[in-house]
This record gives sequence, C-alpha cells and structure tokens, in this order.
Amino acid sequence: MEFAEFATRAKEIEAESADLEVTALVTDLFREGGDDLEVLARFVQGRVFPAWESTTLDVGPRTCYEAIARAAGQNVSAADVEETLASVGEIGAVAAGYEFGGQQGLGAFTGGGPDELTVSAVSETLADLAETDGDGSQDRKIDLLFSLFNRCSSDEARYLARLVLSEMRIGVGEGTVRDAIGEAFDVPTDEVERALQVSNDYGRVAAVSRESGLEGLESMTLSVGRPVQAMLAQTGTVTDALTDWERTAVEWKYDGARIALHYDGERAWVFSRNMEDVTAALPEVVEFAEAHLERPAILDGEVVAVDEAGDPLPFQAVLRRFRRKHDVEAARTAVPVSPVFFDCLHADGEDLLEAPLTERHARLESLLRDHEDQPPEGVSALVLSDDPDEIESIDAAALEAGHEGIMLKDPNSTYSPGRRGRHWRKHKPDVETLDLVVTGAEWGEGRRATFLGTFELSVRTDDGYETVGKVATGITDETLADLTDLLEPHVRAQDGQTVTLEPAVVFEVGYEEIQVSPTYTSGYALRFPRFVGVRSDKDPEDSDCLERLERLFDAS
Amino acid sequence: MFKAIVSAETLSSALDSVSVLVDECKIHLEEDGFTIRAVDPANVGMVDLSLDAAAFESYEADGGLIGVDLSRLEDIAGMAESGGLVQLELDEETRKLHIQIDGLEYTLALIDPDSIRQEPDIPDLDLPASVVLEGKDINRSVKAADMVSDHIALGVDEGEEFFYVDAEGDTDDVHLELTTTELIDLQLGPAHSLFSLDYLKDMNKAIPAAAEVTLELGEEFPIKIHYGFAEGQGQVTYMLAPRIQSD
Repeated sequence: MEFAEFATRAKEIEAESADLEVTALVTDLFREGGDDLEVLARFVQGRVFPAWESTTLDVGPRTCYEAIARAAGQNVSAADVEETLASVGEIGAVAAGYEFGGQQGLGAFTGGGPDELTVSAVSETLADLAETDGDGSQDRKIDLLFSLFNRCSSDEARYLARLVLSEMRIGVGEGTVRDAIGEAFDVPTDEVERALQVSNDYGRVAAVSRESGLEGLESMTLSVGRPVQAMLAQTGTVTDALTDWERTAVEWKYDGARIALHYDGERAWVFSRNMEDVTAALPEVVEFAEAHLERPAILDGEVVAVDEAGDPLPFQAVLRRFRRKHDVEAARTAVPVSPVFFDCLHADGEDLLEAPLTERHARLESLLRDHEDQPPEGVSALVLSDDPDEIESIDAAALEAGHEGIMLKDPNSTYSPGRRGRHWRKHKPDVETLDLVVTGAEWGEGRRATFLGTFELSVRTDDGYETVGKVATGITDETLADLTDLLEPHVRAQDGQTVTLEPAVVFEVGYEEIQVSPTYTSGYALRFPRFVGVRSDKDPEDSDCLERLERLFDAS
Repeated sequence: MFKAIVSAETLSSALDSVSVLVDECKIHLEEDGFTIRAVDPANVGMVDLSLDAAAFESYEADGGLIGVDLSRLEDIAGMAESGGLVQLELDEETRKLHIQIDGLEYTLALIDPDSIRQEPDIPDLDLPASVVLEGKDINRSVKAADMVSDHIALGVDEGEEFFYVDAEGDTDDVHLELTTTELIDLQLGPAHSLFSLDYLKDMNKAIPAAAEVTLELGEEFPIKIHYGFAEGQGQVTYMLAPRIQSD
C-alpha cells in the first residue's frame, strides 16, 4: 500500500468521532491491507514494532525537528519547527504545514520515475533507524528521517511525524483494533482478545485471523521468552472487596519492582513491567530459576531488595539494578535482590490464564516446591479470608515489615494481561500531602495546547526555592483552564513550550514516596506526585520548607 | 583473494571521501584496483570512487566483494604514523580483514554486503557547463554560503564568462564570482542549480585544498564534482541532486 493511501485513511479515521464508524474504517483498512496488514495493524495505533519487542525507535523530538527542517526547504531550522510547534501545539500539523520534496533525488535523473513512499518502505526505514547506533548515529537518524519526509505530501508528513514521535492519536485504541480484526476476518472478538493477550502482537494476530481464522487464533498460545503485559490493580477497600466477592484472597503488596520470569527448562529470561529484557541485570533471578524450577514456566512477581536488617530498600534502589548494564556484580553486592512470585501464567506446556487465581497459585507453589514437607521458596503467602480483622492484621504485618500494604484479589478471577480491572485491588495507607510552590510549567499539546500543564514544583529554602518534581496527573481539562488563568499572569519567561513562573501559587500535592534525586535542585524527588488542589489560603512563604521534606524522607 | 599494502594516507583519503555520505559500503576488489559506489539514504548524494592498483605498494585481488564499516576502518588507518603503511589481507574462511600497521594487528569483522544499501545506478548526465578550479576555492565558496544560508546556488554567466555562487539567507545574502583568471578552466553553457549545503559541506570536507576539481553543471540538474587523489591514481566523482528552486 502507498503511504499516501494510509495517510488518507488515517485522516478519515481521525475525522470520524463515532466509535462504530471508526471500527468500520479500520476494518476496511485491514481487509485491503494485503502484504502490509501486520504493519498497518501497528501503524494505526502509532506503533512501529510489536508490543513484545524491546526494539524502540529512540528518536528524540529534536532529531525529528531537524529532519523536518531539512526537508522543509531553504533556511528552515529545527528551532523554527519548534517555534511553530509551540503555537500549533501538535507535531503532525506542523509537519503538514511545510511543503516537502524540494530536494530532488538522483533517481529523477536516471529515468526511474517518481519515487512514491510505500507503507513497507516506511516500516523498513524505521527499522533501519532503530538499528542505528554508535558514533554519528544521531546524524544518520536525521538522514534516514529526512529521506522519508523529503518524499512526503502534506498528509503523509502529518502521520509520519506522529508515528515517529509516538503521537498518532487518531482515536484508534487496542479495543478498536481488536474489533476491526474480528469484523474484517470474521472471527469472534473474544478469541482475538485472547490471542492478543498471549501474543502481544497486533500484527501477528491480524495476519493469523486472515490466514487461518478461528482455528489459527485458538492455536496461539503464550510463548516462553516472549513477554506479555502484567495484570494491574486498582485501588480498593477491604469492605468493597468482601461485599463484591464474600471472600477475598489477601497477600502482601511488596515494595519492589514488578518482574516476569520466563523459563523454558534450560534458559531463563527476566522482563520488567514494561516488557524490557532485564535478564542480564538481575542474575539473582536467573539463579533462582535454575535452582528452583525444573519445568517450563512463566511467573509473575516482584524483586525486592532488603538491607542487613531485613527491611526493604526504597523502590529506586531496586530500579537502579534494572538499569545497570555494566558492573552488574558490583551492583549485586551493593543491593542484592530476591524475587517473590505471586502468580503463574504458564506451567509445563499449559497456559493458565483462564484458570482461577487459587488454582494458579497452587500451581505456582507446586512448581517451586523443592521438598514435600517444606513451604516453597520465593512464593508470596496467599490467605483466603472473609474476616476484616484478620485482613487488618495482615495489612499491619506488611506495613510493619516495611512493605506497601496488601493486595486484595478475587479468588476466582482469571489472569488478564495488561488490564487494570476490578479483580485485583491494592490497599495502601494514605500518605501525607505537601504544599509546594509552582515555579514553571509547559504548554500542552493538541487539545491542551492553550493550557499550561506539567507543573514544576519547588520547595522553600532559606534563600529561595529549589525544584522537587513535576506534577501532570490528576487534573481535569476544566481545572487546567482555571490553573492556566491563575498562573499566566506570573509567567516570567518562555522558551519553546516551557515557561518559568514567579513563585506565587501553592499547590497541595500528594505523593507515594520521597526519593533522593539528582534530577531536581532540592536533591529530592516525589514518586507519583498527584495534584490535590490549589492552596489559595497560602502564600509561597507559607509553603513547605526543605527541612520538612528532609524529615519526611528520614522518617520513611 | 585480497592482499595489499598501501600508504595510510592514500587509504584514509579514499575512505574519507565515501564516509561523508554513508556509514557502510561495499568495496569491489578488482584485479586492477578497488572501486566503491554508494548513495545516501535519501538518494540525493552519490560517490563513485576508484583506486588504481598502481596507487598501492603491492596489490593482489581477484574480483571479490567485501562490506565494511567505514568509521571503524578509518579509525584503524588513523593508527599509522605519518607516511606509514597499512597491510590488508582478507581471510576468505572467516570473512575477516586482517590489518597490520607497524606491528599492530587488527582483525576487522566484515559486514554482509547484502545487508548494505544497494549501489546506485549512475545517472547518465550530459551537463553543458564545466568549471575547473582548486579545492580551496570550493572550500571558500561553501564557507561563504554557509554563513547565511543552508542552500547554495551554483551557475555560469555565459555573457560575462564567469562562474558564480549565490546564497540567500533570511536577511543576508552572499554572492561570489570567479572569472577565467581565477579558474583553471571554464567551458561555457547554460547552468544554474540550487543545492543543499548539508551535502556539499560534507563533500567539501573530503576534497583536498590543492586538488584540481572539475564541476559539471546544468540548469536545474545534478552537479558532478570530480577530483583525483594519490597522484592521480585515485579518482572520486560525487553527484548531487538539485533542490527545486522556489521563488
């Protein structure tokens, strides 16, 4: 398919607001996708690679602006592109506004005819781009992107720019793709859904649906070594859990980092929550697999780091282990981690996603049990209870041990990869809030282009303010509009989309944890900061001081 | 079979003229010397290089093809002292290139030629005007244009008989004329084309200041830039597609 055709279809889809119509358009696109079906199934969602692949484009906005500038014509610079972006608010519209193609190719002089961009050519060039690394790779990436933009019409440029910067936003979500695959190839959507969950590959599922229908979909299974998305939890209360399920499964919510362990009988893989391969960074988990697993398995759990007293170390200490590429042995000595597993997705050739939680947990225990008469190692204790007092005491014990609280799970629920459903609920104690001064913000993008968002927060010191984080979540559009009105008079300077604000407005901000951080000038950062409200009753002078932050950090 | 000894300087000159356009290239190891042809990803700039067997201290080859990572090979050649020699030998079994420089041995893993971008067809261009000048004059023209713009127009004034360079910036302009007294040679013909400085600056980097360079030009046509190195036993031809002039 010509890339121009894809751009036309994407434009139609974007202009359509009714869900059914969007699905119908995507369905048509898939039916007529031909050899490009797999790529199209990803492109409509703004994906370049299958979700399970750890390959990323790794193209920063700046690289993309440079390439657009070069293709855009005489004396257009990346700074011009950025400036236009600040006023237009969306990279697709910026790219569509330029006239590309001024630079001719040598092909035009060899009688080769016009060189139309195809969907597969874009896909291949982006794959080349992802492989580019080492010295001068930034320039080479610009060259490759330029080679694409230079051949783009206005509409093609719009969707290419969005694809490259992962901002497709044409209103096609995972659900739309699932439904469209079902309709296009006449297969039941729940089977498509299941196949997507086990394979994590929209392109593959679309192709299998077309080529071998229901039978093909049913034969798609989990594959050891290929990551799937983790099942997620909502926040919830014990009372609600007992009302909904009568009896709840309770386990500690460990203060660690989520991992999946895949073992094929010989080789182990460890994946992070966002499906990155972290096998090399976490040798303890590989050794755990070799010591305790005999048969193929896919396990879901956490890695936890504990200090000499047995107390868990802060989350960020664990996360540093994930990012470590060199001197893993030294990092391991400094921050040893150990895994705790709480679920089992696959055991010895059998997928268990459809099995109830209690059965999956039993399989987990039997997989990891080394001796008949001893409890298995590295398995979280799962207690079934309908007694609020008992649950309360488990919660108290978890907090006492330095963990985050408890998980409440529906004992009969199946495992739904990537879903944040009602079947798993996390129960955590409330945290304190901080009153912080807003010292900067960024103009939003797209729908939010006229609003300030992503607010920079600072803490008061004896001689001014020091940054401690940014808050962007927990704010509705309506509130954003109010906040923009409130803050705009205090803008000190503007650089592209970023503005500096004079200290005037105080936000009440919730958070989960205070961390030591080199990113912010206070030396601390808030983990999961969330906007609670404006403290219009407080002046910057009355906001929280650095000493309070330090005390809270020390106490945690 | 490939076995050769060449001065580091000659090897570096050859590699540099290609690496300004691409990271990887195929090298044809012909009996009478080696040749490289490569084009950038956007198919805008092309290089066609040949290095005659006579440019080497010794040279034996029988028509093989290898793929190399240019920056790697340039780094290795850079290890030689001034006036030093580089010995190259292809191991057919392991598909590696053994390189020796003053006792330093380096085994370079080669790239599968099939994984390297296809070599371009060379456009058969009949360009009416030709300008012969010194490398340093090209450098001066490119530098002058780069002060104000990211594009450069090159042309020939047939009436007044000179070669000119124009660059238009947002606010400032540059104009440079070279007459037959400054040029080595000038063949008059209708010529005016606009080029991207991104490419010309890169090509300029590889052109020796003292080299005699031939530019062939037309109206809204690609430019051919030709020069010799290694005492004329090496030949480089660049071709660069024009930008459509909007006014």
